[in-house]
Order: sequence, then structure tokens, then C-alpha cells
Amino acid sequence: MTPFLKTIRWILWKDLVIELRCRETIASMVFFALIVILIFSFSFSMDQQAAHDVLAGMIWVAFAFTGMIGLGKSFSAELQNDCLEALQMAPVSRGTLYLGKVAANFAFMFVVEILLFPMFVILFNVDVVEDLSLLLVVFSLATAGLAAVGTLFAALTVHIRAREVMLPILLLPMVVPVMIAAVEATKGALNGDPLSLYRPWLELLAIFDVVFTIVSFWMFDFVMDA
Amino acid sequence: MTIHRVIRHVQRYQGWVGGGAALCLTVGLYLGLLGSPPDYYQGEVVRIMYIHVPLAHTALLGYTVLAGGSAWYLWKRDPIIDNMCHAVAALSACFTALALLTGMIWGKPTWDTWWTWDARLTSFTVLLLILLGYLMVRTVVDDLDKAARYGAVLAILGFVDLPIIHFSVEWWRTLHQPQSISMRGVSIASGLLAPLVVMSVGMSLLFSYMLMIRTQLLYLNRLLDAKKGRLLHQFHMSKADS
Repeated sequence: MTPFLKTIRWILWKDLVIELRCRETIASMVFFALIVILIFSFSFSMDQQAAHDVLAGMIWVAFAFTGMIGLGKSFSAELQNDCLEALQMAPVSRGTLYLGKVAANFAFMFVVEILLFPMFVILFNVDVVEDLSLLLVVFSLATAGLAAVGTLFAALTVHIRAREVMLPILLLPMVVPVMIAAVEATKGALNGDPLSLYRPWLELLAIFDVVFTIVSFWMFDFVMDA
Repeated sequence: MTIHRVIRHVQRYQGWVGGGAALCLTVGLYLGLLGSPPDYYQGEVVRIMYIHVPLAHTALLGYTVLAGGSAWYLWKRDPIIDNMCHAVAALSACFTALALLTGMIWGKPTWDTWWTWDARLTSFTVLLLILLGYLMVRTVVDDLDKAARYGAVLAILGFVDLPIIHFSVEWWRTLHQPQSISMRGVSIASGLLAPLVVMSVGMSLLFSYMLMIRTQLLYLNRLLDAKKGRLLHQFHMSKADS
């Protein structure tokens, strides 16, 4: 394994170990999402058909906002004991730091999504198709897009005042294409539509992921410059 | 001292740019309001187009300048370029907001609704949100160098995002009338086209004029802050000595 990949793996490993020891991020994300589900059920009095129609939208509202929690913590947690400075001083390229953090954020968000999806299906009592492998593709592509831009913005907002507010304000307009495509593709996958109907959305997500991973990877240097 | 030379050049030409803007906008408004025929379908209502479309064009042009300037700033770290970017962002945000507002006023009689989640309306709203986010970052970050770098990164990311946003909302829904001027040719009556072109030129000149003034203002502000900092420092030093 090249040193580049090895560094990425170490950064990912570090974040995963911290998470396994304190379970702070994932627990707070899941808890928050449960409250969101609760509020949804209060807000709209839904029969099964109505719930089926808006399920994809609700899922992505919940995922996007829980994602904000995880993304916000990924760099602000490093402020303790000046860990962030240590990471900045580490003799590794900044790009590995970015990619490692993206991988960690992706992992957290994806795990939370996998945990939450059954709750949505059960609590709103909707019928979904049995083969969910395509849904996993949709989830992973969209989550990768959120993590790619979100990690850069988390690093950007970590040093500024009111970072908890600034992260969603900056991130959500940028990921409008991800949200649209994710909702449309999730709808398609849940209904069991033929792939050709929502394939353009998957392609859009893939393009977004590639473009923004590259641009953010390159921009990360300018953000982390001390 | 190159910055001072740039500013001297800007000061020499800004009067011409401002005068050109005033001339074009006067002629354009006359042509648009009095000298052109009403539209066959839309009647007199169509005249708001002569404000709406130039505003939207200029806002997009401004965003392109912002992205270019940001890339240049990250490369050369030239403070006056950063001041220019800051000024462009504020002006583009104003023009975008005005384009949305005039669009709403136009939409009421033609589409019979103030607002609809149509593709171009949505992408302009997202553009406005990105610009406002940029301006907010510039106000909450105290460190000048950091504010400039963060802003530049945001502007470049937003610029890359813009076509993707455009395509995604275009696929999502489309109600807006198709563009009248495109690569395939012009599908607008020539009587309506002349005032549109004059107004577009005028609006871009107005934008440039305001940009020149505001960039100088922000640059002078920066100089003033630096001078204030030095004086305060001297003051504290002299107190420490005595």
C-alpha cells in the first residue's frame, strides 16, 4: 500500500476508534433523527398512501440534518487538546487528511442511514420493494456527495464564530443537486421502478461526487493553511 | 506600488464607465418604455423584461468575475483582488435579488402567480443563497487573510456547482419560457431586441462603475484599519515606556 493510502487509512482508523470508544457522534445522530421522525409524524397526519408519497423526501430531510451533526463534529472535536494543530503539523499531505476525514464522515453517515431506514419503513407503515440493493447504491452515492463538500466546509467553519450555524447555511445550498437527485432516485428505488427511469439521477450523483471530491481535495490546502 | 497604479487607472476611467452607463440606461429605458412596440401576447407587461433580463445577465456575469477573481487571489494573494471579489459578491447579490424581484412582478400577470418552483427561479434562488453565505463568511471571520481565503474557496466551489445546480433543477421541473437568445439564433422580434441589448450593456456598465467605486472604498478601509492598528500599537508602546 502506498504511503498516501496508508495515511488515509490511519486517519480513518483514528476517527473510527474514537467513535467506537465514546459512541458520541453516531448516538447523537440517531437520537436526533428519531426526534425528526417523531416531528414528521406530528406534522403531517398521513395515511399509508400519503406516507408512501412523501417518504423519500422525509428520509432525505432527516439524513441531511443528521449529517450536519456528524460533519460539524468531525473537525470541532479536534479542537480539544489542540489535536487540529497536531494534524496540521503532521508531516503528511493535506489531501490525505481531507480524504481520511471524508471516509470517516461517510462511514458515520452511512451507518446512521442504514440504522434509520428500517425505522422510517416501520414507523410510517409503508410498503417497499424487497430488493433494496439499488437503494444502497443511491444512499452511498448521495452520502459521498454530502461528505465530500461537507468535510471541506466543516474544516472551513471550524475556526469561525457561530460555526454550528454557518455549516448548514453554507453547505445546504451547495448540495441542492444532491438533495434533488437523492430524493428522486430514492423514490424510484422504493417504488421498484425500472432503473432506466431514474438512472440519470444516479449519473448526476456520480458526477457530483467525482467533481466535488477533486475540487474540494484541491481547495482543502487553502482552507487548512495556518 | 503597482496597486496605486491600478487605482490611478481605475480612477481615470471610472467617469467614462459611469457616464456610459447613464447614457445606455437612458436610451435603453426610452426605447424600452416608449420606442418599442408592445408584445403580441403579453402586451405592455413585457416591458419589465428590459430590466429583468439585463439584471439577471449582469448578476451571472458578476458571479463569473467573482470566481475568476477568487482563483486569481488564491494564486497571487493580491489584497486588492480580494477587495474586488468582496465588492463583486455584494453587487451580484443585489442584482440577483433584484432579478428575482422583477421576475416575481413579471410572473404575476403572465403566469398568474408570484412564485413557482420553476427551474430558473430555483437556481437563481440557490445562487442568491450561495452569495449571501459568502458575504456572511466575510463578516464573521475577523482575520483578513482567512476571510479572503475562505471566501475564495466558497466562490470557486459555488461556481463549479452552478451548472450542476442548473441541470438538476432543469430536469426536476421546467415552466420558464425558453431562452430567447441562444446559440441557435435569436427568437425575439427585432423591435424588442434593440432596447434589450442597450439595457444589458448599460446594466453591465453600471455594475462595473459601482464595482470600481466599491473596490476602492474597501481598499481604503483596509488601509485605514492597518493605520489604526499601527497607531494603537505605538500608543501602547509609548505608554509602556513611560
